[in-house]
Amino acid sequence: MNARTSGTAAEALEAADVRFGQVGIANVRVRNADPATLRAAIELRVREAPALFERAPVVVDLSFLSPQPDAAGARALLQAIRDAGMLPVGLAYGDEATDALAHQLELPLIAKFRAAYERAASAQPAAEHATHTATAAAPTPSAAGEPVTALQHPHPVRTGQQVYAQGCDLIVVGAVANGAEVLADGNIHIYGALRGRAFAGTAGDKAARIFCSEFRAEIVSIAGHYRVFEELPSSFAGRAVQIWLEHDKLQIDPL
Amino acid sequence: MTETIVITSGKGGVGKTTTSASLSVGLALRGHKTAVIDFDVGLRNLDLIMGCERRVVYDFVNVIQNEATLKQALIRDKRHDNLFVLAASQTRDKEALTQEGVGRVLDGLQQDGFEYIVCDSPAGIEKGAHLAMYFADRAVVVVNPEVSSVRDSDRILGLLASKTRRAERGEGAGAQHLLLTRYNPVRVEAGEMMSVGDVEEILGIPVLGVIPESEQVLAASNSGVPVIHDATSIAGQAYTDAVARLLGEDVPMRFIDAPKKGFFKRMFGT
Ligand SMILES: Nc1ncnc2c1ncn2[C@@H]1O[C@H](COP(=O)(O)OP(=O)(O)O)[C@@H](O)[C@H]1O
Ligand SMILES: [Mg+2]
Repeated sequence: MNARTSGTAAEALEAADVRFGQVGIANVRVRNADPATLRAAIELRVREAPALFERAPVVVDLSFLSPQPDAAGARALLQAIRDAGMLPVGLAYGDEATDALAHQLELPLIAKFRAAYERAASAQPAAEHATHTATAAAPTPSAAGEPVTALQHPHPVRTGQQVYAQGCDLIVVGAVANGAEVLADGNIHIYGALRGRAFAGTAGDKAARIFCSEFRAEIVSIAGHYRVFEELPSSFAGRAVQIWLEHDKLQIDPL
Repeated sequence: MTETIVITSGKGGVGKTTTSASLSVGLALRGHKTAVIDFDVGLRNLDLIMGCERRVVYDFVNVIQNEATLKQALIRDKRHDNLFVLAASQTRDKEALTQEGVGRVLDGLQQDGFEYIVCDSPAGIEKGAHLAMYFADRAVVVVNPEVSSVRDSDRILGLLASKTRRAERGEGAGAQHLLLTRYNPVRVEAGEMMSVGDVEEILGIPVLGVIPESEQVLAASNSGVPVIHDATSIAGQAYTDAVARLLGEDVPMRFIDAPKKGFFKRMFGT
């Protein structure tokens, strides 16, 4: 009888699989509560990089709006994003009001950059830590002052592959192909051509940098500040470069 | 020793089946007992190019499903008695191939003393392509000198490094070779096609051969005689060179430069 029960349970389980994967997902930070203005802004982004953003799943961050919109207002904003071509799949983690809003809209709450809400949770000491890392020379040391570790990837990263260095730097020995993605919470070093996408500082570290020995990227991003390259600027196409963030603007310079 | 070689690409229509046919004939010509298997269930055409389509009684799927023995299904080549074809089924759906079944067929071929097993992969990165590469010791990635083909090949190289039995056992990716097909040096020189160097640099693996674009390939396919038999064809000669390199010989590349223009053409640009 026992075996029978577990048999049917096993059959029932077969109807669906639940797996965990690491998903790179874009955040839309809403800074204007007017749906038409938001729609226009998103449309511009989609037009600029359709391959990246058309029907892309996005997490909507409403925490920059005060007061937060009510359910009807939030619905109008989500619809504006949908009309502009992106697909909202959840709300970014915020305060209790966001939590209530997510319930009303039947949307999941999704953690945004870890750093952002950890700071909010324990404002005082975290803020100190933040200034400390901002002024420290890169690479960023960990809070406990332990040596910085890196994930080493001694192979090329091929089209369709994704490599993520969580909580540390990433070192790739080989090329990152078109359509391949490398991500790191820390810096990214590529000893080879970068033809695909590189996202450094994915946990919000604005001091993170990207280095590569041959620049041909489709897109680069540091702490969420990205730049799409439809055309490669001739000043550094094919050259060794470093990429960093200065006053929230991406800077690229030949090495 | 049996060596299993997958001929793969990601993209369709780049020349995998043409290549599978000519490389397996070439290996047999060099005295090696060789089997070539069509993994393209539902779209069989290796048997057409090998000129044995009328002799297909049992196929790969029949063997996998224990409806026929390997011996019954292997079709001996008309010209070489050390070359055998295992045809794909035209009627079954792709689900008929299983990893266990493919493994069993390859083990059977090994026990029969085959030295080379050439696996002609279907296009795509789905089940058929995955099974064709899963047991491979070496891979020949067929690529045309154009951006979309190179992208798809890059994706396949990623799978070869992670989704094969060798990779799962931690034995590394195995040898990978690049075979450029439908190469047209005149169009490369005009900047309309990628060069061997471009493709090699992007994919980062060594080039096994460059097969020029040639009308004789289609003629050979239509008559069921793989182009490697045609010694007058430059595509056939390039395949013969590629077989030698596959066997570890050092053979210089041919047919990769556009013919030099004559003096008058150079002077007057006609
Ligand atoms: N070197 C070549 N020159 C001219 N045509 C070629 C060459 N190689 C392949 N072809 C043609 O390209 C088409 C696709 O080839 P095929 O081997 O069936 O590709 P695949 O198996 O990758 O789908 C066929 O019509 C074939 O005759
Ligand atoms: Mg084919």
